Amino acid sequence: MYFKMYSNKKKFTRKAALFAALVGISLCGGFAFAADTIVFGDQYGREIKLDKPAQRIVTVPIPAASMVMALDGTDEHLVGMNPSAKRALLEGVLGKFFPNSAHINSDIVMGEGFAPNVETLLTLAPDIVFQWGDRGDDIVKPIEAAKLNMALLKYGTQEDLETWIGMFGAALGKTERAGKILDWHRSERAQLEKAVAAIPQDKRPKILYLYRYGDSIQIGGQNSYFDYFIKMVGGVNPAENSPSESQINEEQLLTWDPDILLLNGFQSALAPDDVYANANLAGVKAVKNRHVYKMPLGGYRWDPPNQESPLMWKWLAMLAHPDTFEWDLRSDIVEAYRFLYNQEPTQEDLDGILRLPMNATAANYSKFLGK
Amino acid sequence: MGKRCLGYAGIFGCLSFSLLAALSVGRYIIPFREVCGILASYTFSVEPYWTDIQYRVVTLIRMPRVLGSGLAGATLAMAGAALQGILRNPLVSPQVIGVSTGAAFGGVLAILLFDSSLATMGLAYAGGLFSLIAVWVLCNRGKGTSPLTLVLGGIIINAFFTALISLIEYVADPYDKLPAIVVWLMGSFASLSYDKLLRSAPPLLLAGALLWMLRFRISVLSLGSEEAQSLGIDVTRTRWLVMAVVAMVASATVAMAGVVGWIGLVVPHIARMFVGNDHKRLIPLSCFLGGMYTILVDTLARTLVEVEIPMGVLTALVGTPLFAFLMVRLIKDER
Repeated sequence: MYFKMYSNKKKFTRKAALFAALVGISLCGGFAFAADTIVFGDQYGREIKLDKPAQRIVTVPIPAASMVMALDGTDEHLVGMNPSAKRALLEGVLGKFFPNSAHINSDIVMGEGFAPNVETLLTLAPDIVFQWGDRGDDIVKPIEAAKLNMALLKYGTQEDLETWIGMFGAALGKTERAGKILDWHRSERAQLEKAVAAIPQDKRPKILYLYRYGDSIQIGGQNSYFDYFIKMVGGVNPAENSPSESQINEEQLLTWDPDILLLNGFQSALAPDDVYANANLAGVKAVKNRHVYKMPLGGYRWDPPNQESPLMWKWLAMLAHPDTFEWDLRSDIVEAYRFLYNQEPTQEDLDGILRLPMNATAANYSKFLGK
Repeated sequence: MGKRCLGYAGIFGCLSFSLLAALSVGRYIIPFREVCGILASYTFSVEPYWTDIQYRVVTLIRMPRVLGSGLAGATLAMAGAALQGILRNPLVSPQVIGVSTGAAFGGVLAILLFDSSLATMGLAYAGGLFSLIAVWVLCNRGKGTSPLTLVLGGIIINAFFTALISLIEYVADPYDKLPAIVVWLMGSFASLSYDKLLRSAPPLLLAGALLWMLRFRISVLSLGSEEAQSLGIDVTRTRWLVMAVVAMVASATVAMAGVVGWIGLVVPHIARMFVGNDHKRLIPLSCFLGGMYTILVDTLARTLVEVEIPMGVLTALVGTPLFAFLMVRLIKDER
């Protein structure tokens, strides 16, 4: 995957001079050429060309909206996003940091999925539309047919996430800032991986991510980002061989007997108490030891890959290995938010991000409480 | 009489065996001896030699699930046999009259709006009832009771609610509500608790008892309207009564476990192989076979692999080849 930004000024100036000589100076017209043409590739080998940094961006993939805002440091250039992304944004701190984001159009998809509402897109006149590339042609072709600039994203790994950051940075003309965010991700990852490598296999807790809990129980399984971050922080995913987001029953959960249960951030009202209240799961280690945690919600939900992922890795590493990892996460969040959003979260914001009081009674959680 | 008693004893034996087998297997390994001990402790004083978790798995997880799937299967099969009898059409099932789809719409709407299992069950019942009323209105307020009218009315209601379900799927949050809706529509007994069972069992037991009592009338109706009338049966009233009972079964099973298809269609045909078309015997046999069949399929759904195989998928996968086999056999017999 690649992305690059280069100046075509010289080439264009030469062409302009030649063209001007041919048609004569009598035209007396001026030729305006883009000072910088931005060219970058998406994750499906398409080349995207922009005359100037994108001023009007639409993001169909849900995690992309807050990432664009983080790359941009503002909400001024995001003109359309998925309704689910908007809900997460307003539910979390970004809605407070960027109050105008509540007015950003979220009517860009049909219903709630990813099928584009092309007429709205055309009305918004975006410089570029970011769309999923791994969910079939039906959601891609209409944007192509509307002759809109489009870049396609692939979901899954940390590498994919890093590529998105690079693409967003390129589109916004902020490659340097994208580089800093990437450096932050990579250095945190490298440090964590190095420390985790020293943890013996038998000291690694079983961590199960519940993609949904309620009338059905769905898990984070193979080839998912959930599986990736569980292993990255030195955990074992008991569902590593099961298809991700598939349904399991309570017996299977008892059989896996995880040490830690992570509750997804998508079900807003779902809390550890819902699991503690289920007598059928009383025998699960995570329940007995009160190691059931609600995933935090910052600029975006911390479960899928996003700009704040290094904070999530640290949060989970501290829960998985309380004796090995010790950071002042609240300070780290403040520092990261200054860098990402140019904003200063309050103590209440930090409590909200870390899902207090939902997680307040969980074991090992006092370290995340404010002083 | 003796032969029939022997037959019923055999069926009871098979049912008891399937219950015990279903309680003994699952993803959490529990030795058979422990399962027997736990079950015996219900009635006898047994010094526990099992762990607390084993006890919970057998009594709180497996037991409601086995009882619920057995009850749902038994009543769905009876409903299918009854419907095939009154409509004189071997290809109909409780799904055909549109009630299942109406109930499914109610459940899906509840997931979208409330995310509470009580609301899901309540709206599933409401959806089922509403679709039955709609079929009744379409059939000239109950005056049109020819099998063709009833089936056509059901098809219209089915199509209408299918469209509404698609609309809800379309507007559901892809990361929150949609996965729950998709899983629910595929059917599963995985979340069956005693609470849910207690809310679904009364209508199912009532419906089962009514169908059992109506089996003579259904048997006569299956001979044709004229024959039934000549024998003093109020054809219109009986047909609507059976339709209402079938609607109760369909709504209650959807409320309990989502959409579980094929049982009401396949099981009566299996039963027909043993007792023929006489509904006096077909309905009781369908009841037992339906219970056993569903317990077996649900045991496979929760045991075969780490993840749950959706019940609707498994009943269709097991049901279609079975149905194809029965059809081929029927064609051979006709020759």
